Amino acid sequence: MEERIGVFVCHCGSNIAGVVDVKRVAEELGKYPGVAHSTDYTYMCSDPGQNLVKDAIKEHNLTGVIVAACSPTLHEATFRRAGRVAGVNPYQVEIANIREHCSWVHQGEKEAATEKAIKIIKTMVEKARLDEALDPISVPMTHKALVVGAGIAGIQAALDIANAGHEVVLVEKSPSVGGHMAQLSETFPTLDCSQCIMTPKMVEVSQHPRINLMTYSEIDDVAGFVGNFKVKIRKKAAYVDRDACTGCGVCVEKCPVKTESEFDEGLAMRKAIYTPFPQAVPNKPVLDPEHCTYFLKDGKCGICQKVCPVGCVDYEQKDEIIEEEVGAIVVATGYDLYPIENMGEYGGGKYADVITGLQFERMLSASGPTEGEVRRPSDGKEPKEIVFLTCCGSRDPEAHMPYCSKVCCMYLTKHAMLYKHKVHDGQAYVFYMDVRTAGKGYEEFYTRAAEEDDVLYIRGKVSKIYEEDGKVMVWGVDTLTGKKVEIAADMAVLGLATVPNVAAKKLANKLKIHTDEWGFLAEAHPKLRPVESLAPGFYLAGAAQGPKDIPEAVAQASGAASKVAHLFAEEEYHREPIIAWIDEDTCAGCRVCISVCPYDAAEFDEENGIAKIQEAICEGCGACIAACPSASAQQRNLTDEQVYKMVSAALEG
Amino acid sequence: MYEPRIVCFFCKWCTYAGADLAGTSRKQYPPNGVVVRVNCSGRIDPQHVLWAFREGADGVLIGGCHPGDCHYQDGNYKTMRRVTFLKRMLSDMGIEPERLRLEWISAAEGEKLVHVMSDFVDEVKSLGALELGLTGEKGNGGAAKAPAKKKPAVKAKAAGKKTTAKKTGKKAKPAARKAR
Amino acid sequence: MKIPYYPGCTLHERALDFDVSARECAKTLGVELEELPIWTCCGAVFPLVTDSVMEILAPVRNLAYASREGDKLVTLCSFCYHVLKRANRTIRTDPEKAEKANLFLRADTEAREEIESYTREDYTGQVEVIHFLEMLRDLVGYEAVAKKVRRKLKDLRVAPYYGCMLLRPKKEMEFDDPEQPSIFEEFLETLGCDVVDFPMKTECCGGFQIVSDEDLAIACSRNVVSSAIKRGADVIVTTCPLCRYNLDKKQEEMAKEVRGFRKIPVIYFTQLLGIALGIDGEHIDFTDNYVDPRPVLAEKSLL
Repeated sequence: MEERIGVFVCHCGSNIAGVVDVKRVAEELGKYPGVAHSTDYTYMCSDPGQNLVKDAIKEHNLTGVIVAACSPTLHEATFRRAGRVAGVNPYQVEIANIREHCSWVHQGEKEAATEKAIKIIKTMVEKARLDEALDPISVPMTHKALVVGAGIAGIQAALDIANAGHEVVLVEKSPSVGGHMAQLSETFPTLDCSQCIMTPKMVEVSQHPRINLMTYSEIDDVAGFVGNFKVKIRKKAAYVDRDACTGCGVCVEKCPVKTESEFDEGLAMRKAIYTPFPQAVPNKPVLDPEHCTYFLKDGKCGICQKVCPVGCVDYEQKDEIIEEEVGAIVVATGYDLYPIENMGEYGGGKYADVITGLQFERMLSASGPTEGEVRRPSDGKEPKEIVFLTCCGSRDPEAHMPYCSKVCCMYLTKHAMLYKHKVHDGQAYVFYMDVRTAGKGYEEFYTRAAEEDDVLYIRGKVSKIYEEDGKVMVWGVDTLTGKKVEIAADMAVLGLATVPNVAAKKLANKLKIHTDEWGFLAEAHPKLRPVESLAPGFYLAGAAQGPKDIPEAVAQASGAASKVAHLFAEEEYHREPIIAWIDEDTCAGCRVCISVCPYDAAEFDEENGIAKIQEAICEGCGACIAACPSASAQQRNLTDEQVYKMVSAALEG
Repeated sequence: MYEPRIVCFFCKWCTYAGADLAGTSRKQYPPNGVVVRVNCSGRIDPQHVLWAFREGADGVLIGGCHPGDCHYQDGNYKTMRRVTFLKRMLSDMGIEPERLRLEWISAAEGEKLVHVMSDFVDEVKSLGALELGLTGEKGNGGAAKAPAKKKPAVKAKAAGKKTTAKKTGKKAKPAARKAR
Repeated sequence: MKIPYYPGCTLHERALDFDVSARECAKTLGVELEELPIWTCCGAVFPLVTDSVMEILAPVRNLAYASREGDKLVTLCSFCYHVLKRANRTIRTDPEKAEKANLFLRADTEAREEIESYTREDYTGQVEVIHFLEMLRDLVGYEAVAKKVRRKLKDLRVAPYYGCMLLRPKKEMEFDDPEQPSIFEEFLETLGCDVVDFPMKTECCGGFQIVSDEDLAIACSRNVVSSAIKRGADVIVTTCPLCRYNLDKKQEEMAKEVRGFRKIPVIYFTQLLGIALGIDGEHIDFTDNYVDPRPVLAEKSLL
């Protein structure tokens, strides 16, 4: 079919017409091949202007429309709507930018501007001549979300999505929800108790009618794409029928095996069959076969099974794989502390009285191993001098992590303050590089610690910690006085760097979502799309994306949840069709496109030995097209052929 | 007087928007360049650039997002590498590599766009018109001919079609396709 | 097993006791240390200038000599090890410097035809620089060493002193964890010693500062020595002639400054190894020591 393009030159009052001879432009374009109709008008975007376009489409039976006016960012959508109403496919309506790119920038050169406007419009006519009629891509969608990780971020995201009316599967790898927040004593800057604000949310998430909570479970495999993920979840063998279990706790009480409690960061013991902490949700035990005598010694022991009043201990239980279909995935896998053993200069892992911030949290917690009393791990005595070290492994590109872990300044300030509240005659020192208090009420909190609680802040780093005569000797420097500082302290608390959860990187690989070089999940845009992954359908919440404090993690989780609700607002998933496609006849299967695609949208079709593009994932960047050695990859409505013709038209005359 | 003809490939997220900003700020620059809007500078095939020179361009300007700002993660890095190689190739072909320029211009850098445009036009002016010594029509717009070096490939296509060997056909066809 | 050996100037002159004991130990363990036929000073300091190749020419020249003798080069002195290893790494990782250094090596060849065979090929970092301790651990094997031990040292409380040059910078030396190293302890345990862990084992002895700021260097050394004494050590062992000098000879000054200063002998690890291997006394020479280790060794029946 012969293309019948209509050209509509807008005056934009005098914005265009004051510089460009619009009459002459319309006249010239009228003679151009493929143009069936060419006219001009004062304000093409006004109602009469749009009607003029619509009428002309019908009258001249146009197959394509060029509106020569302002930038496409302003009125492309307007004229595409008008085109659709009048019977031209929206993707065959193009804008020639003769205002921002011509009349406004060449005001003193009327002749040259007119010539340039003609060229600009001709390039768009050439493009339009080869434009195909396209429809937005529609993909069916499962209106159910998967949230991975049930720390505060995962819990918040799950609750928000569920409260927006959608089903949620919440998967947590440990036996209880709560994450690190459940371990904390009190929270800065208000000092409200972490458990008190956390527990109601933990209960809510477990009882919500639209949330399917799966604790002690991990993601085994994820296939599919946005709207249509198929997820395999491994429900780990707990060796306890947790549905039948009443949570009476007799098995835990009678279990003879003791091992270090993960929840108490090794400061207390737990049993081989255990619930991680008294407020755990669900409050039902799991059995840890790595420490259980029954498993280690060929069936000797078996006490828990004998004492269980409902007979729900089952040594034969196996991992179970559960399949779920979901439309969106929120990744909230959280953080770990940088291993204390890596801080050799501070004797991390070597000296009992050099501990992590999380261990100190447990110590301060009223429900912790010392019931809130501050005690030296080595001898149980009350420490009279404690040194708190910020930036342990953070902001140290030479030896450790280069980034700022963001929360350490604040939590160590809180630690020092709480210590002073408990040990009034004690002395707290904080070594710092900068005290970073960028948060609401944070600076005031820090000032309170320094001024009211007499916490001594020393600006400088600690170079070495060693034990001598039952003390923890801390060598540091005060960079304000330029003097070496040596403190014979009773304890040292390290503000260790925040690193992504160890399992998170593996999971990211499984999910095929990007991480930064440290393993933090990469957001789609650092400013404008902070809660989305580049891979469509994946959303990020909490410290898995970068170090965060509680309010930030909660805000990001709610942001991710609202993005999921936004996605689920439509029955189907729609996307722009300006994406890549592969010519099956010419593709030689070299896979270059697969290697350059930033979204893993290009995949290899083993059966036919060619590449193919997954329409639901392709973002239309064109990397594969430029890389394809056989020009088999092409972009809809911006094919190489279109580019060649546009270039030729731009150079004509 | 000689007025250079310039083709500008601008990525739609940064440089195209930067050019819009130059317009809304009423900054003035020479009218020698015509913009071809692409989604990403990484979409630009070196052949597009060669084609532009073949079709009579005296200069080609590629505008992309600053490193690290690419809307598609790293398309601009791909461009950066391609342009480096392409410049070497251009000088082998007897085309001054300065006729091809890659600039990072963000959506906020209307001023930079003006500066780059003016400077590039001056530079290409000082280089003079590009003489490729091609026979046949040059700059004949819509009736575009294939780049000369593609012609053997068209023949290969014919040869490939005669044989039944799938591979040969596959190799030949794409080149022909691009040449179309 | 034959291994090319680079003694370095200090072991050639002032620290002959170190060199002799090392050669004899190696022989007893079945290793033949083959001194490079030609070698020069390593430069003794690894240059931190980045825009010049001149300063690494000395170590690179020695490495190039070594490359004709084998794929490994054993050395003992901490400074030599430090300089050779870092220079080697520079050649491996900085192609521009490698190319320039080789230009100089080629000029050497032309100027000195008698050693033509040594430097005709470009040096590309093919030699692996290893410390004597690494040789014991990785090539001989601590188990094999343990089998050759004739005298058990279990009553001797030994403090291993690493100093800085072996360990830092971590990324370049790749010798051991610079904060909590263990190769020395493992070696001493092999000999059956009672190993004394002391917190100052990786602190600086003062190094070259002894020349320009003696007080500072002595303060550094005293810190190390007193820490080892406090932890109950009978003897400090070291791998470095300069550390030995600072820690041992300067005890004279330390004793003057601190009332009741108890002296402690500082010996080379190869001397201790020699004792354990039952090597003849003439190869284990303590005459250069300021604090004579013989009384304490005799007390433990090790002489």
